[in-house]
Amino acid sequence: MNGMVQTLVRPTRRALLAAAAAVALFASGPAHAADPIKIGFSMALSGGLAANGKAALLAMQMWQEKVNAAGGLLGRQVQLVHYDDQSNPNTVPGIYTKLIDVDKVDLLVSPYGTNLMAPAMPIVMQKGFTYMGLFGVGVNDQFNYDRYFQIMPMGPKSAETIPDAFFAVAKTLNPAPKSVAIVGADAEFGKVNADSARKIAKAMGLKIVYDRSYPPSTVDFAPIVRAVQASQPDLVFLASYPTDTVGITRSIHEIGLKTRLIGGGPVGLQFAAIKTQLGPLINNMLGYELYVPAPTVKFPGIEEFVAAYQAKAVGQGVDPLGLYVPPFIYAAMEVMGQAVTKTGSLDQKALAKTLHDNTFSTVVGDVKFAPNGEWEKPRVLMVQYRNITGNGLDQFRKPDPYVILYPPQFKTGDVKEPFQSK
Amino acid sequence: MKSPVFFLVWIVVAAIVFAFGLYLKNDYFFFAGYTVLQYVVLATGWNILGGYTGYVNFGSAAFFAMGAYASVVMHKVAPLPVPLLIIIGGIVSGLVGLGMGYLTLRLRGAFFAIATLALAVVLQTLIVNWDFVGGSRGAYIIRPNTLDIAGLQIPYIEYLFALMLILAVCALTVARIVERSRLGFGFATIRDDEVAAEACGVPTLRLKLMATTLSGALMGMAGAPFPYYIGYLQPSSAFGLEYAVNSIAMPMIGGTTSWVGPLIGAIVLGTLQQVATVTISSAVNLLIVGLLLTGFVIIAPNGILGLIHKFRGQSDADKVGRRVIRETP
Repeated sequence: MNGMVQTLVRPTRRALLAAAAAVALFASGPAHAADPIKIGFSMALSGGLAANGKAALLAMQMWQEKVNAAGGLLGRQVQLVHYDDQSNPNTVPGIYTKLIDVDKVDLLVSPYGTNLMAPAMPIVMQKGFTYMGLFGVGVNDQFNYDRYFQIMPMGPKSAETIPDAFFAVAKTLNPAPKSVAIVGADAEFGKVNADSARKIAKAMGLKIVYDRSYPPSTVDFAPIVRAVQASQPDLVFLASYPTDTVGITRSIHEIGLKTRLIGGGPVGLQFAAIKTQLGPLINNMLGYELYVPAPTVKFPGIEEFVAAYQAKAVGQGVDPLGLYVPPFIYAAMEVMGQAVTKTGSLDQKALAKTLHDNTFSTVVGDVKFAPNGEWEKPRVLMVQYRNITGNGLDQFRKPDPYVILYPPQFKTGDVKEPFQSK
Repeated sequence: MKSPVFFLVWIVVAAIVFAFGLYLKNDYFFFAGYTVLQYVVLATGWNILGGYTGYVNFGSAAFFAMGAYASVVMHKVAPLPVPLLIIIGGIVSGLVGLGMGYLTLRLRGAFFAIATLALAVVLQTLIVNWDFVGGSRGAYIIRPNTLDIAGLQIPYIEYLFALMLILAVCALTVARIVERSRLGFGFATIRDDEVAAEACGVPTLRLKLMATTLSGALMGMAGAPFPYYIGYLQPSSAFGLEYAVNSIAMPMIGGTTSWVGPLIGAIVLGTLQQVATVTISSAVNLLIVGLLLTGFVIIAPNGILGLIHKFRGQSDADKVGRRVIRETP
């Protein structure tokens, strides 16, 4: 014990070296005008969200390459400073203070997903940074931060967007549906959407015949689907996570669930891995998408972006289709870039004002933010999957499997009912 | 060294660490340091049951989360200053520990470990289904930027860091007092041979209940300020696997027989994880704990402390033996 105390107290050469290294770790010099503009963020490159995180990073790097090739922003090159948050919210506060205080980043982008975005908020607010959010739902509802922005097009009332779209389609059914079953995962996304679905269903005068959530660790969905079957609903609203979506879809077909319309918020159907895994089993299901290659959805530059992304995605272990996350991440970076150019500086307050006051044209169309930082108007597509044959990937690159039912300006067809099992 | 002197020495060390942080003028030091200190308290708490008494607890995350959720409840019912929340968190988790002791201490070895794992699952399910504390949606705890103490505006993270420093010193002092008291020797007899201890008249059940309560209380105290640190508490982050893994790995790496072990383990492993997050920053991070644990199990089964004793040519048995002779009146 004595020896230990001595080594702790008496500075040895090794201890001095270690101290010097520690100081070097925490300190860095002032930025110069010719230095690159640093954009900092943490990203899920390992853990549960890694597949989306890696795809998001790839999209950001594509934007960086393009901007730097064109001369950068404000005459400076752009550098991405990022760390792996391991899909673990507990690492986020440390990483964001490192980005701000040690790496001295000029701009901040959020991590991927609601539960990773929220822990950075208090720090970002304290330091007065403008915060570009990636794929979080309703994060700013609690903080009311005027420099928060969100690229996912869920609109100002983000919790209601998906159920709204599903029930808007249900209203077009003839004869009108009378009953609904609500099945949601017992976690943030499932709960938020099931709550909104319940509210809308009541307002529509629908009888809620089944309304249960299931624990996120559920693997056997047959009992749930059987219970839904027994309640004979006209509609089934799902708010499930990727692995659950697979389990539920398989159970639906094994049990032969009869209902008129099913789907709404099954997360997972947006990704190539699950699209190809389930293949024809998702025919006639309703799922939300943010972009699909349909004739009515032609934003300038989106097709070129998706083609370039798909070429780069090969062999990188990321989503080979890249229709869901990458275009919007790329758009978020475009919005940031355009805002910096329009503002003419990196002043965070002026940047936030520019972001609030302007409309930005991106690969996902024109983006205008509401006062709470969400998109001014929601733009989630409610899609019915059809004409899927086999489990091939290439069919999903074409417009054929997607019939857009909602919103009206993108509509490519009418809803087909009933949803039938083979 | 007498315990009050020990406490004062470490308070001075803590003050130096805090002053170093202020000198750096860098919030990252406080954020990263907070996490390491949190692990010092957690590992020290775990070690009272796992190291001194020999009962391996896989449910550390549950105790940590109970402390955190006690703060969430208080935040909603009657917001209190964080030091009081730490005490409340300690009481809640201490009671959970006591309850766990009553229910599970008939089990030994792997069976006890499995029971603690089950306890974590049960408590997590309870929290997920309790809407008052946010349920599965999680709860937002919005902390102020600064805290006004006697007219001084102190950044909130510095306040949390200072609290965690004091808590860590308290935890180490408690662990040291326990280790060198009759209580600690009682714990050691249970670890070495419970049947023999019982036969010799050691009140094993009472001692084990004291160990689970004390251990649980310390882990709950580590969790109490957490909602204010993270800002948004979800069951999955409060019951995170890393708390269970780290609170076992840290004492194992440092050495489980003394209060210094968890301290060394938490500082080494905790700092390494923080540094790796911002340097290696890839899935390789996750390998670190695994590789270190495997390495230590093979090379140094008694942790860093064991290695130090080995180099000094002094076996653990000698040391304990000598201490018993020296300190037993």
